Amino acid sequence: MARVLSVRLLWSLVTLWVIVTAVFFLLRLAPGGPFDGERRLPAEVEANLRAAYHLDQPLPLQYARYLGMLARGDLGPSFRQKDFTVNELVAAGAPVSLTVGALGLLIAAGAGIAAGVGAGTRAGRTGDRWLMALTNLGLAFPAIVMAPLAVLVFAVLLGWLPAGGIGSAAHYLLPALVLALPFTAAIARLTRGSVVETLAEPHVRTARAKGLPSGRILRRHVLPMALLPVVSFLGPAAAAMLTGSVVIEQVFELPGIGRYFVQGALNRDYTLVMGVVVVYAVLILAFNLLVDLAYARLDPRLRARP
Amino acid sequence: MAADGRSRRASGRPRTRWACLWLLCLCLLPPWATGDTDRVVLGNPGEPETVDPHRYNLRLEETILSDLFLGLTTFDAEANIVPGAAESWTTSDDGLVWTFRLRAGARWSDGEPVTAHDFVFAFRRLLNPATAASLAYFMYPLANAEAVNAGRMAPDDLGATAEDDHTLVLRLDKPYPYLPERLLYPTAFPVPRHVIERVGDDWVKPEHWVSNGAYRLTAWQPQSVVSLRRNPHFAASGLPPARLEQVDYLPLANEQTAYNRYRTGEVDAIAGFPAGELPKARRELAEHVRLSPLLSIMYLVFNTREPPFDDARVREALALVVDRQTLTDRVQRAGHVPSPSFVPALVRDYQPVPVPGEALTPAARLTRARTLLEAAGYGPGRPLEVTIHHPSGTEAKRTNLAIAGFWQALGVQTRLHQSELKVHFSDLRQGNFQVALAGWFGESNPEHYLGLWHSQTGDVNYGGYANAEFDARMAAAALEADLTRRNGLLREAEAVGIAEHPVIPLYSVMVRRLVSPRLGGWAENARDAHPARLLYWR
Repeated sequence: MARVLSVRLLWSLVTLWVIVTAVFFLLRLAPGGPFDGERRLPAEVEANLRAAYHLDQPLPLQYARYLGMLARGDLGPSFRQKDFTVNELVAAGAPVSLTVGALGLLIAAGAGIAAGVGAGTRAGRTGDRWLMALTNLGLAFPAIVMAPLAVLVFAVLLGWLPAGGIGSAAHYLLPALVLALPFTAAIARLTRGSVVETLAEPHVRTARAKGLPSGRILRRHVLPMALLPVVSFLGPAAAAMLTGSVVIEQVFELPGIGRYFVQGALNRDYTLVMGVVVVYAVLILAFNLLVDLAYARLDPRLRARP
Repeated sequence: MAADGRSRRASGRPRTRWACLWLLCLCLLPPWATGDTDRVVLGNPGEPETVDPHRYNLRLEETILSDLFLGLTTFDAEANIVPGAAESWTTSDDGLVWTFRLRAGARWSDGEPVTAHDFVFAFRRLLNPATAASLAYFMYPLANAEAVNAGRMAPDDLGATAEDDHTLVLRLDKPYPYLPERLLYPTAFPVPRHVIERVGDDWVKPEHWVSNGAYRLTAWQPQSVVSLRRNPHFAASGLPPARLEQVDYLPLANEQTAYNRYRTGEVDAIAGFPAGELPKARRELAEHVRLSPLLSIMYLVFNTREPPFDDARVREALALVVDRQTLTDRVQRAGHVPSPSFVPALVRDYQPVPVPGEALTPAARLTRARTLLEAAGYGPGRPLEVTIHHPSGTEAKRTNLAIAGFWQALGVQTRLHQSELKVHFSDLRQGNFQVALAGWFGESNPEHYLGLWHSQTGDVNYGGYANAEFDARMAAAALEADLTRRNGLLREAEAVGIAEHPVIPLYSVMVRRLVSPRLGGWAENARDAHPARLLYWR
């Protein structure tokens, strides 16, 4: 197990290095620079700015500098958010992104499993058809459509929830719901299929023949098996929700790291974009690692032989 | 009635659970709506990049910085220039030496006195190359400023000296009658030397914050809120203190979100909302809508370095058929004001020169344009093909579709090329365009706009326009200390320039704000400046 873990960790580090390198050089290829704006910058002023951020050094040297800083856990100063370091910005934004992501995951798992079980146990009946039609809708509408629609209905027209920003727990509800929607639909469909399949298994028929109440059959004999594929889906879903909130954060004006990513990219704030990429990459790699480890625990066939 | 029914049903156990959940939801609900009597929540069109007045770069930062600091001059509710930290000033006859008398009782927010030495320290810090101030050139009118900023001279050589604690002397290289206006910008604000020398770059953090304006910085949550509180020592400066205890600036970069959040009552004033919502807002929020024309010019610039726009006849032909009124009133419908001149009409003490041909009838303009194009060698057999560059966004796109429509009447085939803002301006500065949409904002000073046509201006003369006669007239104006005579010379220069059509002026921007009708002390003005210290709740 320890060997699997160390090999995995090593590969994760290599992947991280490849990501950092690719993004570092791709960013420099984008036209325009961090100090371009509508206002004029005289040559001497621009030279002062470039020197202050070490942009006057040759690119390989800048790259080596960045890797060195990264190894020390220093993401550098933000080029545009001049009063903050990237570490400070990530520290301020990550809790917001993580809260929305975690709340979304909770909603998606709860509502998705409930809907999936409901539909699976009523397979082929009207309730099932309606639920599956709804999940199709949930999958078809992207967040960029659902988010403004949700704001319009729940904030502007009904006035139940705030339209954006943070401040109270209510501010998180709408973004988390919109973020959860496609995942809820996916989980519901996955659960439904799995429940239908498990219900046809011989051991479920046996339990029924023994006269067990249907609620107990569902809890004891169907769900534990039916939820296995859902659990393995939650790993990538968690990563996708944490990183997929870029659009949500933009529409709801949430101060999370996804917003830094977009604005950093538009502003050519090299260090900020790099910092967010590193954080996202580490999160995704960590989730993948967790899922791999969970697989190894659940399925003995995947464990490495001694 | 309904509440009765609900409470009766809630007596069962599962119902109790639901009731608890509802109660929890209710607890979560109310706190986002504003309604404090001592606090105002203002929408700013984006996140500030810094609160260091020497490193700032954006208009939305000017808004916050003007509440935090008090420069030598400042503005009132109507954006008139009035004495700020200086109670009075005098100018030498040659216009080269300006002597400012500072207010004797002025204090920093920690109680320390504000002195002329603080201003000298601030000007030297601004122009010191190590500060890397991107707007350092705003203070280039000061003697030796450019040399200091380029590292060719020491900061001590700068033309700013303190005669005593309350007398500040600014020396200039050339006369500059617009200096009081230039001093409105944060680049001319004092900074607390005693704090910077102690904590260095961390002085901008709320825990170390000290400033001399009506407010001080108490919190900054990135992308969420910048919180200011009243400066208890501001009254000592002799100016009326702020009436509201707390000001919160929210970064609302997206106009639609700003509009939504205003309508849900989370914000008391916003800096802009989508043009498409204007008719509806005028109907439903008539008392909230505040429209004010901004000191600004949006224009099309020709790349005069290469064919076909090195030929003034082609430029004139295209300029003649642009119908500004149709553009603003029927295409954009955002309230923008058509501008027949490059220098905006809002510039004070100045009579701008309209584009030649403005007085002709549309038919006469079309005929003349056709003749000019034919003379330049274009016609049905050889149509002129043009690409307009514009930044991405609905308004820019609609604007240029309309322009393409106007030009179609001449048989010109127009294509649009849109790119993200940064790329757009990068292209413009490198001259990678034929015709492009550009804008210029800011001062009530014709030189600020006409300077863009000077051959030595550098890359913000996007089109590379060069005319020796124009340059000579600008140089003559730069030596004139008397404002009236100087503006007269600038007007002559403008006439020389516009006759060659380096640009097509289009319109001045109309700022669309929503402001709570209960908020007093708010007046529309050409700078769109609304000092928080003047605001109060009715």
